[in-house]
Amino acid sequence: MLYFRTVKLGTKSLLLHPMRSLLTVLGIFIGVASVIWLLAIGEGISKEAQRQIEDLGAENIIIRSIQPPDESGGNFRQITAFGVTRNECKLINDTISTVKRVLPIRELSQKFAYTGNPNVKPVDGRLVGCTSDYAEVTRLEIERGHFLTTREVELNRPVCVIAARLADKLFPSEDPLNKQIYLPEKKELFKIVGVLKHRNATAAIGGSLAAQDFSLDIYIPVTTMRARMTDQETKRSGGSFSSKLFELSQITVQVKSADDVPRTAELVEATLRQNDPNRQDISVVVPYELLEQAKTTRLMFMMFMGLIAAISLIVGGIGIMNIMLATVTERTREIGIRRALGGKQRDIVLQFLVETITLSIVGGITGILMGLLCPVVIDVSRWGLEYFAPQLYAGLPEVARVMRPTIVPISIPVAFGISVVVGVFFGLYPAVRAAQLDPIEALRHE
Amino acid sequence: MSETSTRMAAVIRDLQKHYVLKSETVRALRGVSFDVPEGDYVAIMGPSGSGKSTLLNLLGCLDQPTHGSFLLGGDDVAQMTDDELSTIRASRIGFVFQSYNLIAQLSVVENIEVPLYYMGNLNAQSRKRSIELAKMVGLGERLDHRPTQLSGGQQQRVAIARSLVNDPYFILADEATGNLDSVTTEEILALFQRLNDEGKTIIMVTHEDEVAEHAKRVIRLRDGEIQFDKPVEGRKVFTVEQIQEIAHNADVATRSAD
Ligand SMILES: Nc1ncnc2c1ncn2[C@@H]1O[C@H](COP(=O)(O)OP(=O)(O)OP(=O)(O)O)[C@@H](O)[C@H]1O
Ligand SMILES: [Mg+2]
Repeated sequence: MLYFRTVKLGTKSLLLHPMRSLLTVLGIFIGVASVIWLLAIGEGISKEAQRQIEDLGAENIIIRSIQPPDESGGNFRQITAFGVTRNECKLINDTISTVKRVLPIRELSQKFAYTGNPNVKPVDGRLVGCTSDYAEVTRLEIERGHFLTTREVELNRPVCVIAARLADKLFPSEDPLNKQIYLPEKKELFKIVGVLKHRNATAAIGGSLAAQDFSLDIYIPVTTMRARMTDQETKRSGGSFSSKLFELSQITVQVKSADDVPRTAELVEATLRQNDPNRQDISVVVPYELLEQAKTTRLMFMMFMGLIAAISLIVGGIGIMNIMLATVTERTREIGIRRALGGKQRDIVLQFLVETITLSIVGGITGILMGLLCPVVIDVSRWGLEYFAPQLYAGLPEVARVMRPTIVPISIPVAFGISVVVGVFFGLYPAVRAAQLDPIEALRHE
Repeated sequence: MSETSTRMAAVIRDLQKHYVLKSETVRALRGVSFDVPEGDYVAIMGPSGSGKSTLLNLLGCLDQPTHGSFLLGGDDVAQMTDDELSTIRASRIGFVFQSYNLIAQLSVVENIEVPLYYMGNLNAQSRKRSIELAKMVGLGERLDHRPTQLSGGQQQRVAIARSLVNDPYFILADEATGNLDSVTTEEILALFQRLNDEGKTIIMVTHEDEVAEHAKRVIRLRDGEIQFDKPVEGRKVFTVEQIQEIAHNADVATRSAD
C-alpha cells in the first residue's frame, strides 16, 4: 500500500514534467534497445558466417588450384600446368586411411545458351565438372530430375544439371528437363537431367577461397569435361588470347569423422607438398579450423558489441543523474516540506530512487520492445532499400543481405537488469543529496 | 517549578541556540524558559532577528538546541536522533507556514494525508478523517483539486487541516497570515480560535499586533531572550455567530469560485 503510494507519487511527479521525463527515458530506451540490437545483429552475423562455413562441410578439406601470376608478360610465353592434379587426387584417396572420399572438381566460366527459344540471350555462368558425390558433399538439393549419376560419370555422358537461377533465365516459360543447353565457346551440347533448388552463396574465406555463388552453375561429369575440352583452356579477350593449363580447380577431401580433420589436413598438405614444400599453386582450406576460429571471433565480437551497448547505457544513466540532480535542486522546497511533515531521510531517498527506477524501468521495457522489433525493422529496411535503391542494396556485402538478426534471449533480462541497476546507481547520489538537505534551509529555499 | 493540574504540551528550560559561523558565533537564543499548557494559544512576537523562527524551529523539532531542554510529552527532544525527530514531527506536531507549503503534485486530500503517510498510517479510516478535516475547513467540495487551483486563503486552510490530521501536541504557525489580505486573515484567525476553543494548543509567530490580539498570551523576544511573557489584555474574541458567518462567507466564496 505504502509502496504503491510512493510509486504513484513518483509517477505524478514525473508527469509534472512530461518532456523532461521523456528525454530521460529516451537515454535508457536507446541504451537497452541498442544492447539487444547489437547482440542480435552480432549473433546474426556470426550465425551466418558459421552457416556458410558449415556449408563447406566441417568434415571437408578443400584444396584449391591457384593460377600463378603471369611472369613472362609476352604473348608467346610457354604454358605451364598448375594446380592440383588427378594423380594427386587419386593418391590422397588411396593412401590416407581417414579419407572417406575425394571429389575432383574442374570449373570454367562459360556462356550458356538455349537455342530452342530465340528470345533468350546467352548467360554467363560457371561450368563445373564433378562426380556424382558432389551434390551430397556440397549439399546441393535437387528440385526436379536427378543429379549426375555414377554411371553417367563413368560413361562420359553429355548430360548436365543446372542451378535454379540459370534455369529461370534460360527457360522462362519451358520445362528445362531433357532440353539441350548449348555452349557456344565449346560448341558442345548437354542434355539437362536435373534442376537444383535455390541456395545462398557460401562465405569468401581469406584470399584463398572466393565466395561461391552457385546460382548460375551447370554441373557435368568431370570425365566428359576432360574428354571434350582437354586440360587447356583458351580464352579470347579483346584481340589477344590467353591460355591456361590445369587438370583440376579444386579437390574436396571428405574425412570420415570431423575429429580426424586436423590430422588429415596435415597429411594432405604433406602429400601435396612432398616434392616442393613452397608450392604456390595450391591452397588448403580447412572449414573445421575456420569454424573454431569463427567461434572465438564470435565471442570477441559479442563482447565488443556488449561493450558498445554498455557504454550507451552508461551515457543514459548519466543523463538520468543529470536530470535528477536538477530535479532535486528544483524540488528543494518540497523536500523541506516533506521533512517537516515527518519524512525520514530514507523516505526521501526512497522517493527519488523510485522516480529514477520508474524512469529506467519504463526506458527498459520500451527498449526491450524496440529490441524485439529488430528482425522486423531490419527486414523492412532491407526490403525498402532493395525497392528504392537497388544499386545500393546490391552493393551491400552478402552477409548484410542474408544475415538474420537473432535475438539473444539472455540479452533481454540482462538489458533490463542493467537499466534498473543504472537507475539505482545513478539515482542514488541525487537521492542521498536530497535526503541530506537541512530541512530548515530546504524550507527557506525559493 | 511548581506542578499544576493542567497538562503541559511543551516545557522549555534555558533553551539556547548558537550558530557557529566562520567569523563569529551568532547566539540566536540565549536561554529561554516557558511552559505551554494544553489548550493555550500563544503569540510569539519580537523584532526581526530576535529569534522567533529559531525558537519555532526548535519547538517544531526541525532543529536541536545547543543547550537546554525541551520536553515534549515527557521526552527530551534535545537527545533525539534525526529519525526520532522525524517520527515526532510526523505524529505529534502540526505545521502551518507563511507560504502554505502544499505539495504541488498532490490533491487536497492527499496533501492533508502526508503526515499520516510518513507515520505509516494510511488506510480507509485515515482517508475518512482527512476528508472530514477538509470539510471542517470548508473545502469538502474540492478534495481532488490541486494547490495551484486554490486561492491563498484556501491553501492555508488545507495546510491547517493537514496540521490537525495527526492530532498534534500543538500547532505551530510561522507568520501564517503574513501572505493574506485582512478578510482572509480574519478567516484563518477565526478558524484558529475555533480549534483553540475545541482544546487545540496553538503557538504562532507574528509581527502584527492585530493578529497577536487574538491569542491568549504573548511572549515577546528581544535579542534571543524573553522580554516579557504575559496574558493578552482585552483579547479579541470572535463570537460564535461571527465564526459561523465568516465560515459561511468563505464557503460561499469557495463555491462561487468553482
Ligand atoms: N542558519 C543560521 N545560521 C546563522 N545564523 C542564523 C541562522 N538562522 C538564523 N540565524 C540568525 O539568528 C538570529 C535569529 O534569527 P531568526 O530567523 O530566528 O529571527 P526572526 O525573529 O525569525 O526574524 P524575522 O522576524 O526577520 O523572521 C538572526 O540574527 C539570524 O541572522
Ligand atoms: Mg522569522
